[in-house]
Amino acid sequence: MDKQKVINAQELFSSDPELERINRAKQGDQQAFHQLYIDHHRRVYALCWRMLSDKDSAEDVCQEVFVQLWQKIENFRGESKFSTWLHSVATNIVLGHLRKQKNWLQRVFSIEEQPVADVPVEMPMQVNEVSELDKHIQRLPERARLVFVLFAVEGYRHEEISNMLNMAVGSSKSQYHRAKSLLREWVSESDYER
Amino acid sequence: MKDKKMNKQLSEQELLNKTAKLPLEMAPERDLWTGIEKAIHGQTRKSANLSQGNKVIPMAWAASVVAAVLVTWLSFSPQQATTPKLNLLTVMQQDFTEQKQAMLVSYGQPKISQLPQEMQDQLSELASARQAIEKALLDDGNNSDLLNLLRWTQKQELDLIKQLYSPKWQSI
Repeated sequence: MDKQKVINAQELFSSDPELERINRAKQGDQQAFHQLYIDHHRRVYALCWRMLSDKDSAEDVCQEVFVQLWQKIENFRGESKFSTWLHSVATNIVLGHLRKQKNWLQRVFSIEEQPVADVPVEMPMQVNEVSELDKHIQRLPERARLVFVLFAVEGYRHEEISNMLNMAVGSSKSQYHRAKSLLREWVSESDYER
Repeated sequence: MKDKKMNKQLSEQELLNKTAKLPLEMAPERDLWTGIEKAIHGQTRKSANLSQGNKVIPMAWAASVVAAVLVTWLSFSPQQATTPKLNLLTVMQQDFTEQKQAMLVSYGQPKISQLPQEMQDQLSELASARQAIEKALLDDGNNSDLLNLLRWTQKQELDLIKQLYSPKWQSI
């Protein structure tokens, strides 16, 4: 019985076109890697844009994610879904980018003093068409935004987020609560004004 | 006015519902692939080096086996007279030299000295083995085993060059 299961799993595995592309990309096949890019870049870009709150930075970092993916793809051992693994890689690169920014430390440690953004954030065209909520997410103070995006949109747990952002679990929950409060208020105002 | 707003405030569940409907994909405005392609095009992936290194290990074994077989052969085989098979040796040498040269030209005449030391060593060992077999054949030109060994060694050397320089990273 177990043997039968193994055989079926292997057959299923070998017929997975994405796995085949991954394996080919591991061997240096750029065409296969390009196909992986086509399949995943929009999702990665959305993550970058929501976390960075800046279109140009999001595009640059999205490129960086795929350049690093080319180097790191051999580390993918199939223990999780490729998209899950890729998003973990992408999240780390985005956070690394944020840390490298000149005023990162200032923004993190004086977050409570950070004003809420009043200026409309530059949106990708698709976002203008699709989501009012995204505009409000971009107005959130940075830590609240990062926690909200990672928890509510990307599905990370607070324990994981606390490790990523180097904060206590309680702080992550607190930032999430803050983000929700602000968003509820802003969305309500927007709905009322309409 | 404020009361009216308060009454209309979004519930937490409504916010979560809206969040769940956020698009998970967004298209960047500019083409990102061109830059990515440029960035990875000229890169020698670290793992690719390792991978090539792994492929070289069998070559090291091959060179070692050739050397061992040759030493044994030269130590124990009786001396035989030189025969017209020397011509075959000459043909094989010329053929090998032409193939190797054509291959290197097709890869843009790369400098062996720019290869990692380990790979240079493997190439050097194979070349030494080949030269030793050729020298042995000068004294024993009839020996078909030595001729086969030479052919096999030449092939290993060509295969290694092909593996080291084949432009498989530029398949687009």
